[in-house]
Amino acid sequence: MNRTKRSTALALAAGAAALALAFTGCAPSSDDGGSGDSSAALRVWAGSQTPITANFNPFAPTVLHAALGPIYETLFFFNKTADEAPTGLIGDSFEFNEDGTVLTVKLKDGVKWSDGEAFTADDVVFTFEYEANGYADKGLVSAEATDDTTVVLTFDSPQFTREFAILGSTWILPEHVWSQVEDFATFTDENPVGTGPYVVDSVTEASYTVVANENYREEGKPAVKKVQYIGLDANQSAQDLLSAGELDWTGMFIPNPDDVTANGIISTINTPQDPTVLYTCANAALGCVGEQTDVAVRQALNVAIDRATIKEKAFVGLTGDISPTFALLPRDEKWLADPANAISPQSPNAAEAGSILEAAGYTKGSDGFYGKDGAPIELDLISVDGWTDYNDAAKLIAEQAAEAGIKVNASTVQWQEFSDARQTGQYELIMGGVIGTSVADPYQIYNDWFDGKSTIKVGEQLLPGTWNFSRYDNPVVNDAVAAAAATNDEAAKQAAYATIQTEIVRDLPYIPLVINATQTFTNSKDYTGWPTEDDLYAFPPAWGASAAGVILANLTPAK
Amino acid sequence: MKFYARRITIYLVTLWATISLNFLLPRLMPGDPAEILIAKMQRAGEVSETTIRNIRLILGSGSDVPLWEQYLGYWGRLLHGDLGISVTKYPTPVTELIANALPWTLVLVGLSTVIAFVLGIGIGAWVGWRRGTWVDHLVPGTTVLQSIPYFWLALILVAVFAVNLRWFPIFGGYDVFAFPSGPEPTLAFLSDAIYHGILPAITIVLSSVGGWLFGMRNMMVATLSEDYIITAEAKGLRPGRILRAYASRNAAIPSIAGFSITLGFVVAGSIVMEQVFTYPGVGKLMFQAVQNNDYALMQGVFLVITITVLAANFLMDLVYGFIDPRARHNA
Amino acid sequence: MPEPHTAVDEAVVDRTPADTFAAPIGITSAVPDTGRAEAEAAKRGIRRRMPKLTLKLASGLVLVVGITLFGIIAPFFTQSPTFSGNPSLQPPSADHWLGTTKLGYDVFAQLAQGTRGSLLIGIVAGSIALVLSVLFGVLAGYLGNWSDEILSLVTNIMLVIPGLPLVMVIATYVPGRSWLLVAIVLGITAWAGPAVVLRAQSRSLRAREYVAASRVAGERAHRVILVEILPNLLPLLTAQFLFAIIFAILGEAGLSYLGLGPTGSITWGTMLNDAQTGQAIGTGAWWWFVPPGLMIALLGAGLSLINFSIDEIINPKLRIAPEYTRRVRKAAREGRGVAVEGSIA
Repeated sequence: MNRTKRSTALALAAGAAALALAFTGCAPSSDDGGSGDSSAALRVWAGSQTPITANFNPFAPTVLHAALGPIYETLFFFNKTADEAPTGLIGDSFEFNEDGTVLTVKLKDGVKWSDGEAFTADDVVFTFEYEANGYADKGLVSAEATDDTTVVLTFDSPQFTREFAILGSTWILPEHVWSQVEDFATFTDENPVGTGPYVVDSVTEASYTVVANENYREEGKPAVKKVQYIGLDANQSAQDLLSAGELDWTGMFIPNPDDVTANGIISTINTPQDPTVLYTCANAALGCVGEQTDVAVRQALNVAIDRATIKEKAFVGLTGDISPTFALLPRDEKWLADPANAISPQSPNAAEAGSILEAAGYTKGSDGFYGKDGAPIELDLISVDGWTDYNDAAKLIAEQAAEAGIKVNASTVQWQEFSDARQTGQYELIMGGVIGTSVADPYQIYNDWFDGKSTIKVGEQLLPGTWNFSRYDNPVVNDAVAAAAATNDEAAKQAAYATIQTEIVRDLPYIPLVINATQTFTNSKDYTGWPTEDDLYAFPPAWGASAAGVILANLTPAK
Repeated sequence: MKFYARRITIYLVTLWATISLNFLLPRLMPGDPAEILIAKMQRAGEVSETTIRNIRLILGSGSDVPLWEQYLGYWGRLLHGDLGISVTKYPTPVTELIANALPWTLVLVGLSTVIAFVLGIGIGAWVGWRRGTWVDHLVPGTTVLQSIPYFWLALILVAVFAVNLRWFPIFGGYDVFAFPSGPEPTLAFLSDAIYHGILPAITIVLSSVGGWLFGMRNMMVATLSEDYIITAEAKGLRPGRILRAYASRNAAIPSIAGFSITLGFVVAGSIVMEQVFTYPGVGKLMFQAVQNNDYALMQGVFLVITITVLAANFLMDLVYGFIDPRARHNA
Repeated sequence: MPEPHTAVDEAVVDRTPADTFAAPIGITSAVPDTGRAEAEAAKRGIRRRMPKLTLKLASGLVLVVGITLFGIIAPFFTQSPTFSGNPSLQPPSADHWLGTTKLGYDVFAQLAQGTRGSLLIGIVAGSIALVLSVLFGVLAGYLGNWSDEILSLVTNIMLVIPGLPLVMVIATYVPGRSWLLVAIVLGITAWAGPAVVLRAQSRSLRAREYVAASRVAGERAHRVILVEILPNLLPLLTAQFLFAIIFAILGEAGLSYLGLGPTGSITWGTMLNDAQTGQAIGTGAWWWFVPPGLMIALLGAGLSLINFSIDEIINPKLRIAPEYTRRVRKAAREGRGVAVEGSIA
């Protein structure tokens, strides 16, 4: 099959070929050898576009990928693909006090910075007090080094739910370097000093290279001595490089992964993480306008959608199935209160949609669309122009809703319009994403996306770090979220989540569609130790912060 | 001299107007670079509050300054050669980004333009010379090439020659794997860079040679029926001499003028080509700037483009006034 | 994230040679020639100005008319171009002549609809460019003096600002880009080059006796322009219009490739963009990627072929000289000698 396709394309370009050869006279060049032997660099594309500019400052928005994980480390590593305890990087163990306000962290002994200086508890204290981390605004009362390997962080409120933010995404800085930094905002940190397995070797416009950190705490690691991160401007180029066996690690979307794995070098793994949903501006009390503010309309839409087709056609079958509870299954299994909510309906049920609407007082008009009091339901669904998978899904949803007698008009908008719409709540339906949680606990989604305190009335911009675009504000949910935050007791949390799940599965402020695919491609012929389906010890894509460092340290060149 | 003084005035006014427009255009664009960056990061996964806070801090828009004050400041900085700091590649100065990208574009697009021009003029002269023979039928064929969407051609060429046949590299201005520490002044690097330029160059040449060919051929045909050519023929000059010394030279004048304008647009470059091949040039900077609302970078690239185009035009005026005295009175 | 890829330079790289061609040809050769030809033409009536039906013209017309008819008629007979019920990514078959896309859309139906969209954009953009170039070029050339200076300055600025980047900026600025908006944007960034040529032509026409005569006779400016100048510019305007169409279509394809094309309508450009973002090349779905590009190339070729014939009217030597050489050669072959050669003019 593929052969014929290719040869057709070939024939097509035959004319061009002749012409090209005529004035280049260039012979095919010899391939300059593959990677694999220990002296060659592991080649990574983490999504950087050219030109690359050296910036390893973890606070910079333009920080290069290698800074986060391979160079700078957090205290602990949280594997977001599994429900397991965090593993220590430079931290050894940690403990909360009873009410979650005091966090005591034990550090590993004998850790050195990459410039040879000893790593101590003072560095950790410095980091938490560092202005750019903003812990002063987040309730940090004090950070103290009680001895060389112990740090005590005291907060003014329970921090159980912030465990990941504190331990798993705060990059630990060397005090002897960063205390000299005048302005973290303009600091480019071209020779970063970290505790991670790598140090910077060289940076050019087209790529940058990191080499093994000689002072790395684990003997013999990293076994891959050199890693080269390249910049690419087109996904197609990355795909071509993978097929040619010239790229060893990347995380990107390729609809036909078989084509790149066919060379016997590249393996692929898909780890769906982030939910894709329909945002609905659901709360008329806060000013939302449109028929979608009626819960019956949202419920009808929910059953009218053909998720199997959307998965197959818009997302080429690579997405995961979503649970309306927004727990990521099977990872968050223990937080799923009612097994009936494990998965949203996959096939459409127009009849059920009709009966939901009829029960709510809607009637079918002569044109086949439902309406109330002579006003037909008509919903505008927007998606960001160029996010093809979303655009495609929106087109399909419009078709499927029409089948069930609900009129949905799909259109695409510029990114800015989409952003304004969701920030201010001036929309009816949006194809959008929900950010998956970094730990095996849906709490962050409940808190950021469903809690009434994470929203604001229509017309005003949501505050930074709050994502409740649907303006959903349900006192039952709000109380349960607060209850879950204040406890570290699993049973109490499960009870709170059960309450939340019942409410949101019924109210559907975000109509769940699929879990977005996260594909990773790795060279498993020349390197071993990648995360696999069986041993998913870290989130696999090359752009994953922290996880990338853990994976690199774990790789060995194949013999 | 009056002619040149007048031209120079016109150029200065044009320069002022375009630079002002460059200043204004990006400010008319909606959106806030910080928001765009946050949303992009968010699409790739979780964005911590700290990050968001810092992005706003760093990229916070200073839009409360009145526009005309911004305008004066813009000119002030411009005259000091300060084009500002790029947001996309924060905190790299725009001048540095452009300085690094410019040589690649100039050499590749410049050379390809020259090659296309020379080929087009050469073949065009020949086709015009052999007017009325079968070669006339070649001319329409070249127009197909000219009408092919550029990126479409480039993508097909990559698919066939780089991916399937593996004759050419897939991306980049040089082999980033063989030269991980960047460009170096060695023969090996130079030949590698040339090798990487071949496929992009082919796409440029293929899609622009037709125009030159066509124009030259027509001028040639027209020139060949001028009286002085007839006289030359009648005097019994050798055809080769007529072709080279009389006909081609005169027929090429308008093409040369056109060529200098095209050279001016070299810097605007081949945004598509650079994107398809991940080529480290200026066009791609332009694209990234627009995508990310990077005002400073956008203005910087526009400025460079404007200046080169104006310079090329000016050069053309000079050359033209020199080779064709009529222009001095007619313009 | 599907990255909107890129394509901007058609307008820059491709447009420039065309502009510059038109310019020099107009300035150096066409001016005197048209003058002579048109003066004669004015005497001998409109028929002289019609192109002779040559093979080039015929094939050009067949291509252009064929594609246009395809765009007008075919959409009525295909299935809906946005019917997703077909299986995905099918190669061409009896059911789907050009296969299907990732979403299961029929490529042939899309192509038919896209032809319509692209032609509309081309014609609207071409018309806008035509009107503006006439406005700025002809007026500047005819009026002279201050009006000329100002109009020329605007033209020069528009000429200097790189076209497609400007389009990119405008396109990002306006939310919800309809095909009409894209066409307008392409139109208002494409008129400057032709205007330069028209200005030179009008200046030269203005100096002609018969134009001068009607001015002296007290005809008003707009009448002189409409009656005396424009008819004589007709072949040139037609050529420019046809070029503007193909550049608008190429420009639209470039914009679409960058993810800045029209939203909510189907054109060749959006098809190419869908194919590109749907990784048509990577999956070997040539039937999705090749046809729209080919259509653009064919339409472009067709329009250029027509332009060849128009060129031969603007500049009769282009027609006469090759014909003459052919005749001479034929005569020589038939043994009638080359006595006539000296009298070629």
